[in-house]
Amino acid sequence: MAPRNTRWTRAVDHLKREWQIYLMLLPTIVWFIVFLYKPMYGLQIAFKDYSIFRGVANSPWVGLEHFETLFSNDQFFRAVYNTIQISALNLLFGFPAPIILALMFNEILHATYKKTAQTIVYLPHFISSVIIAGIVITAFSPTAGIVNTLLGWLGIDPIYFLTKPEWFRPIFVGTGIWQEAGFGSIVFLAAIAGVNPSLYESAVVDGANRWQMMWRITIPCILPTILIMLIIRIGNIMEVSFELVILLYQPATYSTADVVNTWVYRQGLQSGQYDLAAAAGLFNAVVAFVLVMAANSLSRRFSRTSLW
Amino acid sequence: MAGVSLSKIVKRFGAIEVVHGIDLDVAEQEFVVLVGPSGCGKSTTLRMVAGLEEISDGELTIDGRYMNRVAPKDRDVAMVFQNYALYPHLNVAENMAFGLRIRRVPNAEIKQIIADTAEILGLTNYLDRRPADLSGGQRQRVAMGRAIVRHPKVFLFDEPLSNLDAKLRTQMRAEIKRLHKRLGATSIYVTHDQVEAMTLADRIVVMNDGSIEQIGTPMELFNNPVNTFVAGFLGSPPMNQITGKVTETGAQVGDTVIQLDRDLGGLAGRDVVVGIRPEHVSLQPGEGTTPLPISLDLVEPLGSEALLHARFGDDNLVFKTDTNGQIEHLSGIDTVHVPASLVTLFDAESGRTLRAGG
Repeated sequence: MAPRNTRWTRAVDHLKREWQIYLMLLPTIVWFIVFLYKPMYGLQIAFKDYSIFRGVANSPWVGLEHFETLFSNDQFFRAVYNTIQISALNLLFGFPAPIILALMFNEILHATYKKTAQTIVYLPHFISSVIIAGIVITAFSPTAGIVNTLLGWLGIDPIYFLTKPEWFRPIFVGTGIWQEAGFGSIVFLAAIAGVNPSLYESAVVDGANRWQMMWRITIPCILPTILIMLIIRIGNIMEVSFELVILLYQPATYSTADVVNTWVYRQGLQSGQYDLAAAAGLFNAVVAFVLVMAANSLSRRFSRTSLW
Repeated sequence: MAGVSLSKIVKRFGAIEVVHGIDLDVAEQEFVVLVGPSGCGKSTTLRMVAGLEEISDGELTIDGRYMNRVAPKDRDVAMVFQNYALYPHLNVAENMAFGLRIRRVPNAEIKQIIADTAEILGLTNYLDRRPADLSGGQRQRVAMGRAIVRHPKVFLFDEPLSNLDAKLRTQMRAEIKRLHKRLGATSIYVTHDQVEAMTLADRIVVMNDGSIEQIGTPMELFNNPVNTFVAGFLGSPPMNQITGKVTETGAQVGDTVIQLDRDLGGLAGRDVVVGIRPEHVSLQPGEGTTPLPISLDLVEPLGSEALLHARFGDDNLVFKTDTNGQIEHLSGIDTVHVPASLVTLFDAESGRTLRAGG
């Protein structure tokens, strides 16, 4: 009798046939389980009075007590506000930067010049955040920094940029753009490379100039990629570059620089309040989840483009 | 409308010359088809006319104006591309209006032109759709609509039907022919499909390896090919070519001497290629025919016709015959009859056609 063609037997057959592909997938699945799913078990301490000695399972439940503490804590609200402020600035200036760079690279016709320019703007991505922060601190130094030297030539007194709260966000966002815009442009350059060349040829015959081709062909054709990257970016809106903030901020600039992640770090690791930090982290994750769902569904509705 | 003239046009990519000084005059309102195998330079030639490729040498004029250094937009040509080149983010109406918007034609005028053109092409009900929501044939029509709305002096078609299935290709071919009759536009059409070339062209230009082999009307090229290349390229199936020798009485292939209706006495002893069109043979003897013994391999029924695949010596030959609805009788065929008047002789060395008297 022939075996029944059930869903289960079809799945087994498929697995037998394609086992090499699943084997290649295995390390990624293991990575997800070990680093993303297993830690979720520890999330429960956000609802517990956690003690290292009692462990996660044996610590007593306290319900939403840590969330009440969070929402009555001015410093936490300040951190949320700062996170959103910095992310909004990043979205406003940092998100378009790689797109603009990619469009500019696309207009460079001289191959050697193009490659050189690309290499130069990709480089900062490969430099450690510690060195980046060192460069920024040196550049903005009131005594020997190039910025203050230039301002001095214009007759302006030295400004203690990194101790002034009003300067933290522009410096942070600007540093982020300098470090990542070049590397971020790769994905948009790839999208541009995927645009059918005959669209441009057709436009040339129709009489379009390069500027018109950029606005009427290149940008609309890479719009799905832009939207996907925007959705991903919105999903990370609560994740401001933690290392760079830690390296650049100081108590004098906490009022504008302290973000949720740095607050969690100070509360959780430095003050030992792991449960409160876990509650803040969970809050962060829930907000990010809601945002990415909303962005995805809006994008699907208005542009037929979505992550899933 | 305007004529197009190519004089000694050369195209080089670096040190490699791909088009070797071609001369071609396309008359006003004429439909000229450039045909040839892949890599023969036909698309490159078309792109030079469009201005998408620089002309390395020679002279191009459109409507009498020297065009070598004129930008594509100022040549007043419109081009239909192989893959349609439709803007995926624009609907049909906006795709068709693209060139007009670039040229800042007033909106009301654009609307009217689009409506008229859509009517001609049967696209009125699809104006709001995006290319992704159209079938291949509809996309092709939009691509043509985009060219038509500009009322250019010259239409250029770069293998516009090659992405369509056979049935749709036949249908679109007829539509292009109707459209050309209606618009009377000067058109240059590139294809590697000899059926498209034969059915559409006022004149066909057969290209090979960057040079023009022959220019003429479809029937001129079919009946009087200048060489074995043209003879083999036009016609479906292509002309059978058998190596042989001229004798005092005809052309000898194997043990058979095929009678000819012309005096080739002066060429006796010369090595030749004997060309016989598949559809020119008959199964019954007739006046002035020579029986050619064959060994039948295969009969391919096509409905009203059948293809007979046969061997003659070392040569594989294909003949076409009417079936009258029956193919059983074809399996016993061992001889076909070659009419003396329809045999073409080519010089075996140069491949060029041999006329009476050499």
